[in-house]
Amino acid sequence: MTLQHYLVISAILFSLGIFAVLTRRNAISILMGIELILNSCNLNFVAFSRFVTPPENIDGQIIAIFGIVLAAAEAAVFLAIILAIYREFGSIRPDEVDTLKG
Amino acid sequence: MVVLISIILLAPLTAFAVYALLGLANKGNPRQDVLSTFAMLAAFICSILLFWQIDPKPVPLTIDWISLGSITFSMGFYLDSVTVIMLIVVTLVSSLVHIFSMGYMHGDPRYPRFFAFLSLFSFSMLFLVVSDNLLGIYIGWELVGLCSYLLIGFWFEKDSAANACKKAFLTTRVGDVGMFVGMMMLFTKFKTLSLYDGANAGIFTLVEGLSGTGDMLWLSVAGILIFCGAVGKSAQVPLHTWLPDAMEGPTPVSALIHAATMVAAGVYLTARMFPILTTSSSLVIAYVGGITAIVAATIAIVRFDIKRVLAYSTVSQLGFMMLAIGAGSYVAGLFHLTTHAFFKALLFLGSGSVIHAFHAMHTHHDEEHTDDANHEHDDHSLVHEHGSEIPPDQDMRNMGGLRRKMPFTFITMLIATLSISGVPFIFSGFWSKDKILGGVLERAMEWNSIHHYILFVIALIAAGITAFYMFRLIFMTFFGEPKNQEMHEMAHESPWVMTVPLLVLAFLSFPVVNHLWFNKDFVKPPMQHHIHAPEHAQVLPDSKTHNTEFSLAFLGVSEANAAEGEENGHDSAHGADGHHGHSPAHTIAMILSIIVAGFGILLSWLFYHKRRLSAEAVSTTFRPVYNLFWNKYYFDEFYDGVLVALTVWKSRLYAQFDGSVVDGIVNGVGTVTRDVFAAFTGFFDNSVVDGIVNRIAEVTWTIGGRIRRIQTGAIQTYLFVVIGGIVLIILIFRVL
Amino acid sequence: MEITLKTLIFYGFALMTIGSAFAVVTVRNIVHAAFALMVTLFGVAGLYVFLQADFLAATQVIVYVGGILVLILFGVMMTSGRLQMRIHIERGQLILGGGITLALLMLLLTVIANTPKWKNLSDDGTVFVPTTSRIGKLILNEAFLLPFEIASVLLLVALIGAALISRKEIRD
Repeated sequence: MTLQHYLVISAILFSLGIFAVLTRRNAISILMGIELILNSCNLNFVAFSRFVTPPENIDGQIIAIFGIVLAAAEAAVFLAIILAIYREFGSIRPDEVDTLKG
Repeated sequence: MVVLISIILLAPLTAFAVYALLGLANKGNPRQDVLSTFAMLAAFICSILLFWQIDPKPVPLTIDWISLGSITFSMGFYLDSVTVIMLIVVTLVSSLVHIFSMGYMHGDPRYPRFFAFLSLFSFSMLFLVVSDNLLGIYIGWELVGLCSYLLIGFWFEKDSAANACKKAFLTTRVGDVGMFVGMMMLFTKFKTLSLYDGANAGIFTLVEGLSGTGDMLWLSVAGILIFCGAVGKSAQVPLHTWLPDAMEGPTPVSALIHAATMVAAGVYLTARMFPILTTSSSLVIAYVGGITAIVAATIAIVRFDIKRVLAYSTVSQLGFMMLAIGAGSYVAGLFHLTTHAFFKALLFLGSGSVIHAFHAMHTHHDEEHTDDANHEHDDHSLVHEHGSEIPPDQDMRNMGGLRRKMPFTFITMLIATLSISGVPFIFSGFWSKDKILGGVLERAMEWNSIHHYILFVIALIAAGITAFYMFRLIFMTFFGEPKNQEMHEMAHESPWVMTVPLLVLAFLSFPVVNHLWFNKDFVKPPMQHHIHAPEHAQVLPDSKTHNTEFSLAFLGVSEANAAEGEENGHDSAHGADGHHGHSPAHTIAMILSIIVAGFGILLSWLFYHKRRLSAEAVSTTFRPVYNLFWNKYYFDEFYDGVLVALTVWKSRLYAQFDGSVVDGIVNGVGTVTRDVFAAFTGFFDNSVVDGIVNRIAEVTWTIGGRIRRIQTGAIQTYLFVVIGGIVLIILIFRVL
Repeated sequence: MEITLKTLIFYGFALMTIGSAFAVVTVRNIVHAAFALMVTLFGVAGLYVFLQADFLAATQVIVYVGGILVLILFGVMMTSGRLQMRIHIERGQLILGGGITLALLMLLLTVIANTPKWKNLSDDGTVFVPTTSRIGKLILNEAFLLPFEIASVLLLVALIGAALISRKEIRD
């Protein structure tokens, strides 16, 4: 296995995440896309840490841990916001939440 | 002394201040009457104390008030014997008027305010009296004018009262302008307004320094101008018309105005300015006084309103005083001022008592017969007889036979009438009037001056007429049969607060204090430095040409002082040399005055008591003369017809000028501005400026409308752009 | 590269990850999508194992699968009626999103393929050393202590914030 294997997997995951964020008409689906993106990032960190830096250096894994922490916090706040929006608008379709429309 | 003078001035002022400060809060201090009266009595007592303390020498008390550049205006008091006598007269009369008013004004809705105004009035007069400089006198002078305005118009619900107070204020203002110009002339010349020497020399000293130097014309003019103020305040012809109208005020106010405050101020001012009077200005003053005396006396003959008779009587007596001062009889003028103050206050308060009796009856009568139209009609027919507007309770034709109903009022008013008529020896009015006549005749003989002979004759005739119309008043009011039986039955004696002042004033109508005026140590007339006998006059060889007349009158006092006067005469070369004990002039004057007074009383008795002569017949025979008197010499008509009409015409002219020319110019400018400039600028504004602004706004609006569509508000649109943008940027950079 | 069991397992994990991720973005039923996401997360955890990151793999399973995924399912349950369970995608948006995604993917792959430094880096023959103790030292004792504390505060804030935002009504 080379670094490029992991990078390709990561790139595909990232693209799929972006695709979900751009196209899904449901806020929770968008959240799932974001989770995919975060996972691809973490995978990248760990892969680079594994292949590029010396073996005893595991800073990339630490960064990945922080990434997971971040993802958890983000998911919690995101869902709270979704609940609030749902109460306010009766919907979680992002195209219907357009109070800021010009 | 400072304490006493402070109390005299501050007590009435405090009484007024209490009203002014508390009055607004709760409709007046309920005991304002007591407060004001006690303040006045305190001032009176202090005046008496001051009298015992006063040095024969004047006591100036002066402080610097305002400094403007090199000129300092001082404010101070000057106390001499004349001042103190004036203080006593003013405070005494004012106190009695206060007491009287407690009865007369009882139940008036503005009862406290009346007393507050009385206090302010008294304060103003006292301030005027004690001021040692023209500025202070002027302040007091205007305050007196203001108070007279307030009090004459006290019943301002009546149109006549409102008009009368305006008339009084404006008429006296005409004179005040002259007085102010005169003051400014003196100020320009002397750079000071102080009359007496203080830190710097006062006007009187400076005038003395001018003696015999150069042209004295300007000094004559200044003296006459200052006298103009006195003409207004003391109601001399031709500015006398306000005083009879001032009868619209409450009767106690009339008493105060006529006796102690307002009109006395003019005489007092003229006397104060005595040292600066020149020969010619003195003559002017004397003639004005003489004309006033006779004109007012003749008008008084035909009045039926009891208060108007007294009003014209006052004008006439003031004319006497002015005549005396103008003729150089300084002491006689002031002496008559004080005696007149007492008996005229008495006459007014007495008439107030009569009116009060009738008035109370009248209201009572109305209450009793509210539905009786006939009685009301009777009253009105009485009122409107002769087409005059005499209130029924003041019309002497409604009176008669009151002497049994109102004994106190009758006796006290009779005493005052005897006094003013000049009934000899036991009444004060005789002495003062005689002193004036004697003084004038003496000056006439001394200078052999035709002017003063004429003035003497005028004064003598006026004195006779005075006796006539005063007894006419007494006979019509108190004797004979009641004209209006119903009103007569309801009349009653006034309460004690009203009769006690009458009794006090009646006592003072006897010559109880006269000797003060003859005490040469006490009253020192000031010197006149610019008095000269007319050039054509044959100057008597032994007379000193520029002398103030100062004669000692009769009685025992004069004998005692005569010798002393001879001695003092030598050390005052210019001054009041007290020669002559019984001068022939005085003897002649006394005899003549007794004769004319007796003649006047006799005629009055024949006309109005015995009915031997018919007033109606006489008035028909001399219809033109009667009309002249009845219409008050047409002074009011003259003022209405000429001055007022002229003013109205002038105002109309100005209004027309304003309406056509000024408005035309303004409107023309406006039209040109609107139709030409405004049209052009409006066009420019609408097309160019607005065009630019609107185009910019439209462009902005259109662009904004397009651009706003970018803002969909949908998150995913933004994400598209963001991510697409990132991809694009990276692509571009990789390609490049 | 010869095909070994290890290689096969790696590709298996890779396919599982990519395939389930594809399912996440395409499946119409949101609950199915959530389960597909779970599979993806497991796959990524497997890849971590291949990268000798044992602690991270365990964390991935515990936090993601045990925490975040449950959270997402709760969100689905609380916001979606039955009708809204289905996700519909507009055609134009789909095409545009697909285009951008493809362009992005092409870009990334090009970069990966054309970066010389990243070529031929193999992990063969390395010895596995457990990472847990080292991570513990790094986080609690050494360079990452401050970020760790900051992250803990962040979590606390997120917790409180989420609770506050999702509360029903705030009246006074």
